[in-house]
Amino acid sequence: MLTRLATALSACWLLTLMQLAPAAAQTTKYHEAPALAEQVKAGKLPPVEQRLPEQPLVVPVVERIGEYGGLWRRAFLGPADANNYVRVVYDGLFRFSPNGAEIEPKIALGAKSSPDFKTWTILLRKGARWSDGAPFTADDIIFWYKDVLLNKDLTPAVPSWIRNADGTAAKVEKIDETTVQFTYDRPATLFLSEVANQDGPDQSYAMFLPAHYLKQFHPAYTPLDQVNRLAQAASFKSWNQLFAAKAAPTSNPERPTMAAWMPVTRVSDPVFTLRRNPYYIGVDTAGNQLPYIDEVRFTYFADQQALNLAAIAGDFDMQARHIQMTNYPVLKDHEKDGKYRVLIWPTFGGSDAVVAFNLTYTADPVLGKLLATKEFRVALSYAINRDEIKESAFLGLGEARQAVPAPWHPYFPGKEWAAKYTEFKPDEANKMLDALGLAKRDAQGVRLMENGKPLSIEINVVPAFGAWPDVGQLVARDWQAVGVKAVVQIRERALAFNMRAANELQTEVWNEDTTAFPFTGGSKLDARNPPGQTLTLGPLYYKWLTSDGKEGVEPIEPIKRIMQLIDTARTVGRDGQVRAAQELFRIWADNVFEIGTVGLTPMVQGVVVVNTKMHNVPTTIGNDWPLRTPGNARTEQFFFTK
Amino acid sequence: MTRYIIQRLLLLPFLMLVYSFVIFAIIHAPPGDFLTSYVATLSATGTSISMDQINALRHEYGLDQPFIVQYLYWLRDLLHGNFGLSLEYQRPNADLIKEQLGLTMALAMMAFVLTWLIAVPAGIYSATHQRSVIDHMLTVINYVGVATPNFMLALILMWIAFAYFGLSITGLFSSEFVDAPWTMARLVNLLEHIWLPAVVLAIAGTARLARIMRANLLDELNKPYVVTARAKGMREWRLVWRYPVRLALNPLVSTIGWYLPQLFSGSLIVATVMNLPNIGPLLLRALINQDMYLAGGILLIYSFLTIVGTLLSDIALVMMDPRIRMET
Repeated sequence: MLTRLATALSACWLLTLMQLAPAAAQTTKYHEAPALAEQVKAGKLPPVEQRLPEQPLVVPVVERIGEYGGLWRRAFLGPADANNYVRVVYDGLFRFSPNGAEIEPKIALGAKSSPDFKTWTILLRKGARWSDGAPFTADDIIFWYKDVLLNKDLTPAVPSWIRNADGTAAKVEKIDETTVQFTYDRPATLFLSEVANQDGPDQSYAMFLPAHYLKQFHPAYTPLDQVNRLAQAASFKSWNQLFAAKAAPTSNPERPTMAAWMPVTRVSDPVFTLRRNPYYIGVDTAGNQLPYIDEVRFTYFADQQALNLAAIAGDFDMQARHIQMTNYPVLKDHEKDGKYRVLIWPTFGGSDAVVAFNLTYTADPVLGKLLATKEFRVALSYAINRDEIKESAFLGLGEARQAVPAPWHPYFPGKEWAAKYTEFKPDEANKMLDALGLAKRDAQGVRLMENGKPLSIEINVVPAFGAWPDVGQLVARDWQAVGVKAVVQIRERALAFNMRAANELQTEVWNEDTTAFPFTGGSKLDARNPPGQTLTLGPLYYKWLTSDGKEGVEPIEPIKRIMQLIDTARTVGRDGQVRAAQELFRIWADNVFEIGTVGLTPMVQGVVVVNTKMHNVPTTIGNDWPLRTPGNARTEQFFFTK
Repeated sequence: MTRYIIQRLLLLPFLMLVYSFVIFAIIHAPPGDFLTSYVATLSATGTSISMDQINALRHEYGLDQPFIVQYLYWLRDLLHGNFGLSLEYQRPNADLIKEQLGLTMALAMMAFVLTWLIAVPAGIYSATHQRSVIDHMLTVINYVGVATPNFMLALILMWIAFAYFGLSITGLFSSEFVDAPWTMARLVNLLEHIWLPAVVLAIAGTARLARIMRANLLDELNKPYVVTARAKGMREWRLVWRYPVRLALNPLVSTIGWYLPQLFSGSLIVATVMNLPNIGPLLLRALINQDMYLAGGILLIYSFLTIVGTLLSDIALVMMDPRIRMET
């Protein structure tokens, strides 16, 4: 499996990434959903051959060729949950494969790079159309580049993935109707990984936009006062807010889309409904236009518990999002009702509960020095009984491990590193702590620091996942046993995030979910990424790095080495990236910047409820946010049997 | 009387101004802002968003302005009758509130009517048949009703419905009817769902109301005028209904205006637990996510209705009980 993956990976990182037109699909006639066939007959829709591009996307099926029809019931938690839609449709030019280690063309036909990786050419499908029937061409990417990315009102800061080394935006040019060229002043070896995530998540703009529709809301094409009037009528303060709302598929059903299903209501409505896109560019291996399923309905739930109750009752056809792992036994128990089966998709990342250390804690300098001492962290890692955490907080799922990638991932540094310092050795921990000058204890058995004060550490827990408060308590108890007093503080999210940014946290329970993507996105392994997500590493390192050394604290050697490795990975080919990642994770595990407890559990959207009548849902899959799971399962080939 | 009403109404704008400031200050009090909450929500679902993007949004929404400036902007919009734009929904707050208003009020009205229909007769029966078996039974039920938080009751009923009858009673409609246009079938579907939350909401109110009714009536029943009427041969049920009950209702009527804000607010916790499309969960979410203009708008309307409701109570009391007169 591993070697096959690695070969596939290196193959896809060679010069071309193209999908060859399957001979079978071209010679046979295409088929379509009965409802669309009726519309064609009534003259309301062109025939399927004219709706599909010359070379459609051919989607392999998981079990078998499906049947048309059906309604996919899901649930969502309101407008802030728009990523629920993003994951279901995964509407990108490219997308990650089901196992998460490869990148495959989706809306685009393919891509080529120059040998030095500075120039990338994306090829589009000739004859591809938006959901309203208008042609999808290079102009739609140029519109995004010229009028959205380079427009200061719409994009105040150029995102890092499209930035040159000097901070300016890379050049994007139209070569012809179906060819767009990206030119960087630096090697951009991670270009396709980035492009596979430019599908408009988190209120951002996708890198391809329906220019023909959006021009009416853009002052470069429509007089400014007219656009402003439209904005005012919709209660917006300025035209750019109106543009953002009109460009987001989830807030504007009129906006044409390339996704398999197009929204017909808004994410701010009680039911967010998607309906089959008659112009979707994909077919199955037998030439049936996809998607198989007619409609996707997201029902609004104000409360996650109510959503889970509905899931247990079998009200959803396929959903992992918002299903709590703690309900796994109940769901398993109700499998026998015959309405659904329960799948487990463990997360891609390293650890589902880590104790991250603030290496730059200054409020108590004596304690701060200890937190930044590697031997201290190693001792505290040995003090933790991970088997117990696994049994009581994770229902016996997963394994004890440090925060490194999963064994099936090419970045996996090796077993010895995943298991490093994870043995339960309280005696060794005591010995190490004694050696650190912490041998003296007070009457309660708590060790005294060099200033004579009892050693007490606060563990901050944001209860984002049910298991975390339990993990915090268990870790605190284990640490008490070796004479380190630990106080668990459960905090509301916004408060904790503010305290983190203000460098007020000492340690924190979170998960390490970025190990499969150390070089892209907001990876926590890179000290230059803002500490917005977790405490990992230390807020003052970030300050030092972003102020050219004027403020904050200079990072220690291993952290600098990690940054070097990340920079290298961005300029070398796939093999070099794998080497860099493996070294990075060896450093990561060896320094225990965060103590991993238990990983490879289905805690993050990994307990999947699937209707017994729904098929082509893979039983195992890479599960992570950059993969847009279940989007990487190729949702358009899911289907229902009657 | 008229003068009194006018006085109270003149005070209203001033009170609303004070309320608006207090509301805005309280919503603003927790650390962080809407975007901090947004980032927190995203990171719990495995997403990461760039700081550049967050800072751009913060500037866009005006969240980087000082508190007082944000308040004045809000106030200016309010004076123009504009409730502003919800940060989370990116739609006008007035629209969001309007959408939920119908069902919120329907449910609250139903619970209200149910409460009074059960509580008043039950209270009267208990008082007139004091220490009978049924009185004791009603007393026990009432105490349990008062003591049980109604969201707990909702959870228990939902679990029973699911575990023993295989029903999932969340929401007010089955999924196919949620966004369907109004038809007979949809109305039937609504009635199939609405009774349970209405009963849950009514029970706590019923218990309280019945106890008050019973106590008030017991006070009245021993008064000389009742004995006199009885001695004159007035039939018992007619006597009770005509005099003591009317008097016993007074304290209840004086609180009737308090239902006005409740009609609007929806029951926050029950509605959230039972997943009812209602203003309660809308407010709760807005507060949790620090969507301050939406939360502020709802709370402001709520305050307004509280003031008006108290005024209506006072007026109703004057009309019900001729003994109460305005001192002018």
